[in-house]
Amino acid sequence: MSPGFVPVYRARPSPLHAARAAATAALCAALALVCALYKHPLVLLAVVVAVVGAGLAAGVGREVGRAARLAIPLALLVTLINPLLYAEGSTLLVRGGSFLGRRFDVTLEALAAGGLAGLRVGAIVMAFGLFSACVDPDDLLRAFRRLSFRSALTASLATRLVPVLARDALRAGDAARCRPEPPGRMAVARATLAGALDRAVDVAAALEVRGYSSARRPHTARSAASRHDLRVAASAALVALAGVAGRLAGAGEVTEYPTLAIALGPPELAVVAIVLSAGALPFAGRSARLGVARA
Amino acid sequence: MPEPLARVVGFSYAYPERATPALRDVTLTVEEGSFTVLAGASGSGKSTLLRALCGLVPHFHGGQVAGELEVAGMSAREHGPGELAAVCGTVFQDPETQVVMGGVRAELALALEHRGAEPAAVARAVEEVALALGVAHLLDRRTDTLSGGELQRVAIAAALVHRPKLLLLDEPASQLDPVAGDELTWLLRRLNEEWGTAVVLADHRLERCLPAADRVFALVDGAPACDSDAAGFLEWAEDRGGALSTPVARLFSLAGLRPLPVSVKEARDRLRGAGLAPGADAAPPGADDDRLGADTDPRGAGIDPLGADAEPPSRGGRGESRRERRARRRRPAAVELRSVWHEIEDGPEALRGLDLRVGAGERIALMGRNGAGKSTLLRHLKGLAEPTRGRVETSGDVALLLQSPDDYLIHEHVEDEVGAHGLEAAGLEARARDNPRDLSGGQRQRLALEVALGGGPCAAVCLDEPTRGMDHAAKTALVARIDALARCGAAVLVATHDTEFAAAFADRVVLMGQGVVIADGPPGAILAGGWHFSTDVARVLGGARDALTPAQGARTLARELVT
Repeated sequence: MSPGFVPVYRARPSPLHAARAAATAALCAALALVCALYKHPLVLLAVVVAVVGAGLAAGVGREVGRAARLAIPLALLVTLINPLLYAEGSTLLVRGGSFLGRRFDVTLEALAAGGLAGLRVGAIVMAFGLFSACVDPDDLLRAFRRLSFRSALTASLATRLVPVLARDALRAGDAARCRPEPPGRMAVARATLAGALDRAVDVAAALEVRGYSSARRPHTARSAASRHDLRVAASAALVALAGVAGRLAGAGEVTEYPTLAIALGPPELAVVAIVLSAGALPFAGRSARLGVARA
Repeated sequence: MPEPLARVVGFSYAYPERATPALRDVTLTVEEGSFTVLAGASGSGKSTLLRALCGLVPHFHGGQVAGELEVAGMSAREHGPGELAAVCGTVFQDPETQVVMGGVRAELALALEHRGAEPAAVARAVEEVALALGVAHLLDRRTDTLSGGELQRVAIAAALVHRPKLLLLDEPASQLDPVAGDELTWLLRRLNEEWGTAVVLADHRLERCLPAADRVFALVDGAPACDSDAAGFLEWAEDRGGALSTPVARLFSLAGLRPLPVSVKEARDRLRGAGLAPGADAAPPGADDDRLGADTDPRGAGIDPLGADAEPPSRGGRGESRRERRARRRRPAAVELRSVWHEIEDGPEALRGLDLRVGAGERIALMGRNGAGKSTLLRHLKGLAEPTRGRVETSGDVALLLQSPDDYLIHEHVEDEVGAHGLEAAGLEARARDNPRDLSGGQRQRLALEVALGGGPCAAVCLDEPTRGMDHAAKTALVARIDALARCGAAVLVATHDTEFAAAFADRVVLMGQGVVIADGPPGAILAGGWHFSTDVARVLGGARDALTPAQGARTLARELVT
């Protein structure tokens, strides 16, 4: 049962799923890195398109859609809050009043800056949505446990509990509707949190009786890299290198104040092209289509 | 004489900040390859004893310990759960909190990886335990896609992957439906018989696990009260009023027959041997009067609708007479569903043109396998779901208690959840200032029901699987509350898999399958002749005279089969 609004891992026969978890995670991290480095709308849109395209090609369009449903309200919130906090900019759209000695004017530049910040936040959420849908948390645990077994296990556990807690929240919402006088959202949220803490204690007990407290560093089997590992890792490297190199070269400059100026030239277009093609690379060619799923 | 696997001598334990000890002077030994059942009411100390055997008490929970407890020669005072895990596997109630990883294969591998096993050894052990426990087909599934029964099997496999000598299970079937619960019991029997794994199992549905038990250890208020084989335990339980007894033993006890049978098969054989089995040649009148206890009044003292004497609402009889049916239809409808469809995106229809009319004051047991549409029907009545087609009509408010009562409890004090009237109805006046999460399962259920009822009159009261994990006393209290609600004119609909409970409270059973009603009638007509939906008493008596409860069965034996 899906919790409805949180993207969760779905095993699919796709190159992103067939590649080892570290490679796919690296690709998602590289896409998020580009979002962190750039506020250029074209580059950010390219990341969104790459994420959506990769999600659809990997068969997790529904999960990426869930990520979008989380990302869009967040992006809109950022877009709307920014012009209320920043009154800089030379193009006045709405003249607001004064409050506590501060003027609240809405400028086109502040609105645009908010939009860009919202787009950036939304693109990062989408990249993490792709990560959640395509990276098996258990494989990721295996990849990172040699570095820190307990931290990796905790992270894996947290990932597993997200849908469980989301289901708890849905059930609590239904129970609230069954009360003659439905309680407030805060009361339900508080009760759900208390339930989650109880559940956490139970999970801790279950871990204890599986020998967690006396766990030793596990052995790790080494295996040769598959073609999917290589393609996805190459895509990740390409995206990260293009993003960092472009930024160092001054590509993607955006100036919001006092007037909006967005650079648009060969460097920006090159970064966009690389991001889009790197997103498609794992799925391109005949060998990619032959990717075999593990479930 | 080999050393016992576990040895408990004069062991007492009190949880932190609790004045009353949870365990008092417990002495017990668990032999290799044995099957021990822990019996007792809710709060009697079964779970605490299991937690002590796996080392969680006192290392995880803290508290005060006295006496000795050793598992495989390791003292639980010095060795924590991590070390004891090498020799004992532990499975708790809630399958959701048993499973740690996202995939089944990773879940099974976890315990061995904790011990630093080589990848090849892990792979082999995972494959073998999956095949042995019948979960090989689940290996590549995600744990969040498994049913409760599947999850619990995976939890057992994960507890056994390193081949522990001792398996501890704390009501592992309490959150499962009876079919999954029965499968789990068979699995435990197989583990015990074929692989020699010693099993210590705490369970409320003793009729399910007693036939497998070498030994039963009963606790009362944390102290040992009975340590015997299954037959001896049943004698002890009957002497104490039968609250811990099984329906079949209760049937024999009420009929004055001895010794008490442990299983349905044994009961049937004994009756057949005495010429009392349905279909057997009738014994001459009075021939077995002394054995049958012909002068025994099955409706003796004490109120116990689940076991002994209270007449359940069903009136017996193979079917509803025309007069009864007419009388029922004349009652004003409390709720009515007309050609209700509920279609799910990417799934089968949960309801397919369902028609159902429930009169005021009727007590209905909704039965059927998982996915038959019982819960969906109740959600429609409450308005939590909208029909895709068809109509749902109610004559007033509908109260719905969903499967997890904890979801209804959102305040820090019991008295904040319900008013004084609700507290009284739930029998919780003395716990008014307690946190609802500190109540027992049965108490939380009662409180949640009063929260859902809200103190006002309701046209219908719907309960979804209310008896999961409940002990006998809590079920008896629930039957009484249902009676009270029905007498006030509310139609009561209970979705349940528990046939004994249905026989105790219902005056009508609606059997559902694939979103439609496939049988509808008095309990005697539906539950006496069923293959799966049948009580133990009906199985023993072959459905004779539609006897469902021990009291009805004893009367049938005493008055009819003998003559």
